Parts: sequence; structure tokens; C-alpha cells
Amino acid sequence: MLSSLPDAFALLFNIEGILVLVLGTVLGIILGAMPGIGSTVAVAIVLPFTLSMGQAPAIILLLAVYAGSVYGGSIAAILINTPGTPQSAATCLDGYPMAQRGEAGLALGWATVASVIGGLVSAVVLIFAAPELAAFALEFGPIETFALILLGMTCIVSVSTGSVVKGLLSGMIGIFLSLVGGDPITGEFRFTYDKWQLYSGFNLLAVVIGVFALSEVLIRASQKVNEVSDLVSFKGIVLPKLSDWSGRVRNLVKSVLIGNVIGVLPGTGAATAAFISYAEGRRSSRNSENFGKGEPDGIVSSEAANNAVTGGALVPTMALGIPGDAITAVMLATLTLHGITPGPKLVEDNPALIGAIFTGFFVINLLLLPLGILLSRIAAPVLRVREAYMMTAIVLLCAVGIYFVRGNPFDLLVMGLAGVGGFILRRQGFPMAPLVIGMVLGPTLELTLRQGLILKDGNFLAFFQSPIALVLIIAATIALCLPLIRLGLARTRQVAQ
Amino acid sequence: MKLTSAIGMAFGAALAATGAVAADFPERPINLIAPFNAGGGTDLLLRGLAPHFEEAVGENVFVSNMSGGSGTVAASALQGQKPTGYQMAYMSITVSTIQPQIKNVPYGVDSWTPICSIAASPTMLFVSNDSPFQSMEDVVAAVNAEPGKYVFGSSGPGAITHLSMVSAFSGLDLMDKVKHLPFKGSGPAIKELTAGNIHFFGDTELLMKRGDFRPLMVFNAERLDSFPDVPTATEVGIAAPLNELYLWGGLFAPAGLEQGTVDVLAKACDDAVHSDGFQEFANNSGTVINHRGPEEFNAFFRAQYDANKALISAAGL
Repeated sequence: MLSSLPDAFALLFNIEGILVLVLGTVLGIILGAMPGIGSTVAVAIVLPFTLSMGQAPAIILLLAVYAGSVYGGSIAAILINTPGTPQSAATCLDGYPMAQRGEAGLALGWATVASVIGGLVSAVVLIFAAPELAAFALEFGPIETFALILLGMTCIVSVSTGSVVKGLLSGMIGIFLSLVGGDPITGEFRFTYDKWQLYSGFNLLAVVIGVFALSEVLIRASQKVNEVSDLVSFKGIVLPKLSDWSGRVRNLVKSVLIGNVIGVLPGTGAATAAFISYAEGRRSSRNSENFGKGEPDGIVSSEAANNAVTGGALVPTMALGIPGDAITAVMLATLTLHGITPGPKLVEDNPALIGAIFTGFFVINLLLLPLGILLSRIAAPVLRVREAYMMTAIVLLCAVGIYFVRGNPFDLLVMGLAGVGGFILRRQGFPMAPLVIGMVLGPTLELTLRQGLILKDGNFLAFFQSPIALVLIIAATIALCLPLIRLGLARTRQVAQ
Repeated sequence: MKLTSAIGMAFGAALAATGAVAADFPERPINLIAPFNAGGGTDLLLRGLAPHFEEAVGENVFVSNMSGGSGTVAASALQGQKPTGYQMAYMSITVSTIQPQIKNVPYGVDSWTPICSIAASPTMLFVSNDSPFQSMEDVVAAVNAEPGKYVFGSSGPGAITHLSMVSAFSGLDLMDKVKHLPFKGSGPAIKELTAGNIHFFGDTELLMKRGDFRPLMVFNAERLDSFPDVPTATEVGIAAPLNELYLWGGLFAPAGLEQGTVDVLAKACDDAVHSDGFQEFANNSGTVINHRGPEEFNAFFRAQYDANKALISAAGL
């Protein structure tokens, strides 16, 4: 790899390469910040342009938009409580309260630094340890993935602000919504009532946008005029001071690791990583009691992890030619169109190209910092428009974004209903993050559970024979029981006194 | 773009001069619908075709995506539209012939005006390079020796990857002795083939370019030039109709499209598919071009619709 660096640099650092790096990252941040346009859609938007480009610029453009959009998602999450993508849903939990407190700039500062560090570390890991990590990914079969997702599900407890019971109910609603559509094993339609519009199930993004963004708009609209708080004041990103980091570095390192490891595993994804990392931060951070009330560690946990996923997801993609998600699948398809067949020999056969891609990915993550600061300065005045206009714009943007994803008008109806449903649930004190977790993790939990049972002839006990799965299941059990044990201990003490 | 429209106008003028077609079609942009997500194989194929189709038909052509339900959402939406010729979907063997026979969807064999077929690739059965199986005889012997041990993967129930395995194991009378493990998409299934959790997978020749899989059998009338040592399913002992299986696809408009419009679109499709630009695209992307005109494609589509009934019952779908 190192010997091919001069060739790689020649591919990357020319006028076209640099233009693609900068413009792609800018475009990615903007698209990611728009509610309703997730990373997958952002990448799909630029895909047609890559067809006429060279191999290296084509992939670099997709990567820049990918990494930029994952970061950009945090902007809308923090400023208007609207996760542009499911993976920034955890960022809302502390980012928006912080913004409401008048610290929007600082909240974005934490998100930016965490994103950049998460992305950079994942790029370094990708460059130096891709083959080893890819081998690790192969150890994760359906049973191990099931155990990991089970652990992810326990995050519902951590992100349930207020009532844990309401959080669990909210999570159940999410899981139920994810069951509608084709059965992953038999292909039969479930809960579709012979309506073909339901055959593909509910669009995740439409539901996420509905329950977060639209319900927020409805809540603001339902408040009396004199109760309406001002929209967040925001003048640009304020970077956290070095001294602010004291006591937070451990949480950052852990979040980056979690993001990297989960990113490497195909079929799990950035939303899973962000939630698991957030839950772990809440469990172990020094500032855990402030989580959910605008705690920088919460933002760092989510953002460092979801950006670290980007590099992780490229590991199996580049080392084995196996895409981990829809976005990396698009990248592999693009390579194929440019005459390169992805496979285990991808790196060996194309050292200069892969070197350029990896180096480009590192540079993209560096660029996030200056470009994020610059774009937020430009965007700040936009947020000063009157609230009514802002809310209207949010609704319109959401609708356009959602319609664009699948071209299905039914998704708009889903978004609207999710908005109303989310509004009612939130008024009753139901947290929405568990619903998103249920809907994101539900399908994978079901698929991998049933796959594991097929492999083990219906013997669930055989799941415990896998050491990796056993460790993860024990971790999930502890995560579930720990609060109960603590509660029990506290009660005994009370009784003793 | 200027050049394209100039050529388009010249082509339009040439058409008008011959006077053989509906004079006022097309007069607005034509939409090609990919029933799958942007970035997938179907989407890329259409995006590769669109500029050449545009040049041939003399009007703007744009690709849109309407994904979901294994392609049935787009097909269901299109079948209810008025047949104007301005909307066509690229449908594969599974969307057009399998799904309507296994699911309660609002379309069937009579819902379409087939315009042209574009691609068709024979499917293959393959194993990982480090698999002990060198031939189908090895596979048959091993499966018979240890029923229930071996697993084939698929990218989802009813997908071509599933049907190819059903053709293989049903054709060899081994369906009860192997297990089916469906995945969500080919990516994760390929990963498990590499990891050894599944033993067999079926797809087109394109996957062979990866270099870590070994084909054991091809569902084609004759052996492939690129794999002269790999036997056909017939040679292995699989009888018709399970011995041949192609991943094919083409453009369909809603039923009842008037003949003049069909002729314009079919001519444009013919020219686009045989253009140098699309041939080069097909070569790069591993697309096996298989062009048929409207009548021929219609007959082929209807024959396939009936022939695949055997496959569906064998798969237990």
C-alpha cells in the first residue's frame, strides 16, 4: 500500500480531485442537514454525476457526500430537533436541549470535533488494519449479529427520558411498525390488508421525520403565542476549549471504538452504533446524570460513533468486496461500472486507486472541520427568519425529501400520520428515540433470530455456544438488570434506615 | 446536451419524413422507472441506457426510482396508469412473472404492453473457493450422505438467487435435504458464503469476476464460453423446465398502448441497445445484452410466465 502512495497522490491531488473533495463534502453537509434527506438519498442524488467521471473522482465524490451527510445530519438534529438521518436521532437527545439553553453554537462545536475525530480515526484504522478487521467481520454470523442487536435493544432503557415504561411501549410501537411488509424468511405479506402501498412496509425515514420533525412543528403550533420560546439563537460554531475536554476524553475514545467496531460489521449500521455508544456513555460517563438535559458527552457519544462507522463500513467493502449497507453497495456498483470488479483482490489489484480512495477519505474528514464552520456561518442567518416561515420550510423540506427517496406518494401520508401520532405520544410523555431504535433494530433482530434458528434447527440454546454471542447476551442481560439491582439496593438501604 | 438535442431533432425530422409513426409522439419527456433503489443493478442499467434512449427517441428521457416490495410497488403503481407511452418500467423475471403468481398484487400477465427485452444472463450455482466440492456429483453425494446439514443462501425469498437454488436442488430431487437461509440482499449472503455459514449460492456470471467463488453448474442451453469446463444443468441431470434459468429484464408499458407508440418506443429501444455507447456500458458492467422486439418479447414473456409455475411450486412459494 505505501509503495503505491505516489501514484495514489497523483490520482487524488489534481484539480478535478481537489474540486470533487471540497464540493462533495460541502454538498454532503448541506444534503445531510436537510431534514428528510438521509445519507443514502444524498449519495443517490450525486450518483448520476459519477458515471462520466474517472474511477478515483467518482468514488471520492460518493465518499465525500457520504461522510459529509453523516456529519450534516447533526446540524439539523441540534438546531431544529430534526435528525436528517436516523443515525443522528441520538444527537437530538442532548444537542437540542443544549441549543434551547442558548448554547447551539457550542453544541455544534462538540458535534463537529467529535465527528472529525471519529472520522479521522476510522480512516487511519481503515488504512492500516482493514484486512485484520475484515477477518473479524467474518466471525460475525447471524447468531452473533442477533446478540449484538439484542444488546442494542437494551439502549431503549437508556434513551427513555422520563418513564422507562413509556420508553418500552414506544420501542414496541417501533418494532411493530417494522413488522409491516414482507416477511424476510417466507416473503409473505404481513399486516398489509391487500394494500400494495404497504407491501414494502413503512419507510423508516418517513416515520423518523414524522415523529421528530413534524411532531415538533405541531407542538410549537399548539402552544399559545406568548408561550412560544424563540427559536434557538445561533451565530456559528463555537469550538469547545481544550480545558473543556478534561474528563471527557475517555468517553470520546470509547465512542470512536464502538463506532469503528460496529461499522465493520455488515448489516448493523450507523444508527445502531450511535445508540449503543450513547447508552454506554450514559452508563459510564462522569456526567451521566446530565444525559438527556443537554450534556456535551451525549453529543460526543453519538457523533463520534456515527462518523467512525463511515470508515468502519468501508473495511468489508474494500477488503472483501462485501457491502455493509445500501451506501457501500452503491460504491461497489459504481466501481463495477468503471470496469473494476469488487472482490477480495480489490486492494491487491488496484493499489493506487485504493490508496487514493483511502487518502481521500482521510482528507474528507479533515475538511469537515473548516467546511462545517464556514457553512454554519453562512447558514446562521437562515435560522433568524420568523418561526412560522421556518416551520413551513421544515415541513416542505421534509415532504420533498421523503417523496424523493422512493417516489411513493404513500410515504407522504405515512410521514403525516407519524407526525400526528408522534405529537399525541409526545404530549403524553412518550419519548420518541426508543421508537426509532425499535424500528431500526427490529427487522435485523427478527431476521438474524430466525436465520440462527434455521441454522441451529430451532435450538435456541445453541446460540450460547458461540463465545461472541454469549458475551454479548450476558452484556445485554447486565445492561437490563443493572438499573433494577441498583433500585433494589437503594430500597433495601431505605428499609434498613 | 446541445448535441443530443440536435441529433434528436435531426432524428425527429427523419421520422417525420418517413411518416410511418404516430406523428405527435413523443412530445414530452419519457420516464423510465426502476422498481428498485438508486444504485442497484437495475437502476444503473437504466441510467446507462437512458442517454442512448434519449438520443434515439428524440425527447428527454429520465430515470426515476420507486422501490419496495421486491419491485411490486412500482409495478402495482404503473399497471393502473393510462397507457401513454411516457411511462415504462424495467421489470425483471421476478417482478413480472414470479411475484404476481405468488403474491396478491394488482397486476398479472395481461397488465402489460411489452416493449423490448434488454438483458438476460444465465444463472450459475457456485461455492466458495475453499469448499471441498469440485463438481455437482460431490454435492449430490454429500447432501445424500448428511441430509439437513447443507445450507443454500439467497438474497431474499422469491429472488432469482432463491429460484436458481430451487432449480438446482429440486431438479436433483434434493430439496428436502438442504436448508434455505434467506438474507436481505446479496451482500450479506455473499459474506456468509465466504465465512462458511452457507455452502451454495446462485447468481449470474457477474459475481464470478470476484475471483473467490467456483461455479459448478450453469442454467443455460449450452456451456458458457467463459467457463468451458462448467457443465450445464441438463448435463448434470436436471430436466426441463428447471434446467434453464435466466435473469432477464426489459421495458414494459401498461396494457393497451397503441401500436404506433409501441413502434416508436421499440425502434428507439432497438437503436439505444445497439448503440456503441450502450454496448461499451454493457461490457463494463457485465450486462449480457439480449434484445427482443415487442412481438418476440411478448411471446417470450408469456411463455416464461407459464414455465415459471413449475419453479414456483418447487420453491413452495
